[in-house]
Amino acid sequence: MNIMIREMKANLKSLLIWSIGVLAMVIAGMGKYAGMKGTGQTMNELMAEMPKSLQAIMGTSGFDLATALGFYGLLYLYLIVMASIHAVMLGANIIAKEERDKTAEFLLVKPVSRAKVISMKLLTALIHIVLFNLVTLLSSIIMVERFAEAETVTDGLLLLMSGMFILQLIFLLLGSVVAAVYRKSKKASVISTGIMLVLFILSILINMTEKIEMLKYITPFKYFEAATILNNGKLEPVFLFLSVFLILAFTTLTYRFYQKKDLNL
Amino acid sequence: MNVIELNNLTKMYGKARGITEVSFHVEEGEIFGFIGPNGAGKSTTIRLLLSLIYPTSGSATIFGKDVVKHAPEIKKEIGYLPSEVFYYDNMKVIDLLKYSASFYKKDCAKKIKELAEMMELDLTRKIDDLSLGNKKKVGIVQGLLHEPKLIILDEPTSGLDPLMQQRFFELLENENQKGATILFSSHILSEVQRLCDRVAIIKEGKIVQVEKIRTLKENNYKKFKIETVSKVPDELFSRLPGVNQLEVKGKTISFIFRGNINHIMQKIAGIEIANLWVEEPDLEEIFMHFYQREA
Repeated sequence: MNIMIREMKANLKSLLIWSIGVLAMVIAGMGKYAGMKGTGQTMNELMAEMPKSLQAIMGTSGFDLATALGFYGLLYLYLIVMASIHAVMLGANIIAKEERDKTAEFLLVKPVSRAKVISMKLLTALIHIVLFNLVTLLSSIIMVERFAEAETVTDGLLLLMSGMFILQLIFLLLGSVVAAVYRKSKKASVISTGIMLVLFILSILINMTEKIEMLKYITPFKYFEAATILNNGKLEPVFLFLSVFLILAFTTLTYRFYQKKDLNL
Repeated sequence: MNVIELNNLTKMYGKARGITEVSFHVEEGEIFGFIGPNGAGKSTTIRLLLSLIYPTSGSATIFGKDVVKHAPEIKKEIGYLPSEVFYYDNMKVIDLLKYSASFYKKDCAKKIKELAEMMELDLTRKIDDLSLGNKKKVGIVQGLLHEPKLIILDEPTSGLDPLMQQRFFELLENENQKGATILFSSHILSEVQRLCDRVAIIKEGKIVQVEKIRTLKENNYKKFKIETVSKVPDELFSRLPGVNQLEVKGKTISFIFRGNINHIMQKIAGIEIANLWVEEPDLEEIFMHFYQREA
């Protein structure tokens, strides 16, 4: 418990800043919708006329931008990128910082096993991503409801946010794996964020060219896309399965590597 | 009973040497010195004992238990002071000490107060704002607050002023009298000489010697200083077995000698001398001999 309390405190400031960031994103994003709302259908037409590659980059393909939820689907892409960056950095830092700040010589000399240290830290990180997700969910519900007309939005939003939560989990654990494996603790956060960005760029490339569509199983950013989720009304089972696999694999690897690791002090 | 036992403990960093087949033991109630120049492998050995890193081969036990397999259990009774003290930012001294104490199933409040008073440590300050010496004091209190049975110190005196060093040594002697075993690593020999019962000397990752401080000093090392009337050839003493650290400055010759004293006396009798000093060398001078031998 003591490690959890310590970590909650240590990461509180960053959580606050990220929460304010995501809150601002939701408010500003939906504010844009308010500005465009009058133009109605023309927005869709404008988007449809754009080259497919540009649509892919902006993540606009397949939305009805005239509806509040459809417009939110556009915003969702940016939200999951934010959530993923937060998660991956949190995962990497929470593990790596003891070596980076040389406090491992304090903490790991205490009568606790490394497995327990990892568990406490991952649990704390889990609480943090849940809180991040809740802030996003609540602000989204409030903002989208405000502009929605007849449509029901909460179910769709809940689905989108559960997709985001799974992504957060995957990237949190990706960060922790990198920190557990990589010897140079200072670079753990940079490297894992780098991997995350490469995966994100890959997802955009897949949107642009159909030739590499098979690669969609590699990048989690393709697992939960707003258009598909909103149109189908559910998360894709294949991707859910893949997610569970990744989460279990990353968790196992984090424990295994960290327990065998020679701490670099 | 042996509190610490190392059996051919070896650590390689890839191909680079860490330590090679280090074996020694520390008995209960002992203050054991661990001596060697920088980079000899002292910290590596200590980190292996604390399972911060894992051995390439060989093994070590503390309280009779394997240090890798039973690490969390063993650590209940270990207090450790690292050579460089780093702590979490933004914490007050007292917060850190309470955090440290929270890992042990004991009430450490009284001991914290007692130690802080003795080391003149202000508990309300922020750790970030402390000087190196004061951070070291935090480390000392942190390492001792749970009254461990084994205290492991890695270069503990760096940064402490002489007065505090004195206090700290008294503190250690106190803990030792109460039954704590102490492993004391250092490259400063005088402090080891003062405190320790036995020492292990490590050099380039290997144990050169394990000996009682007393034996080391009694081992018939003599420090000679001779002033001759006229200059004598350098070779006169340098060829003699047992002569170390020979220094010739004009008519003054000095060296450390270990061996049959008669041989050296006969040699000296053969030359005309103006003055002669024969002294007990201090540990530092004896150790220079170990440090330099292969250099």
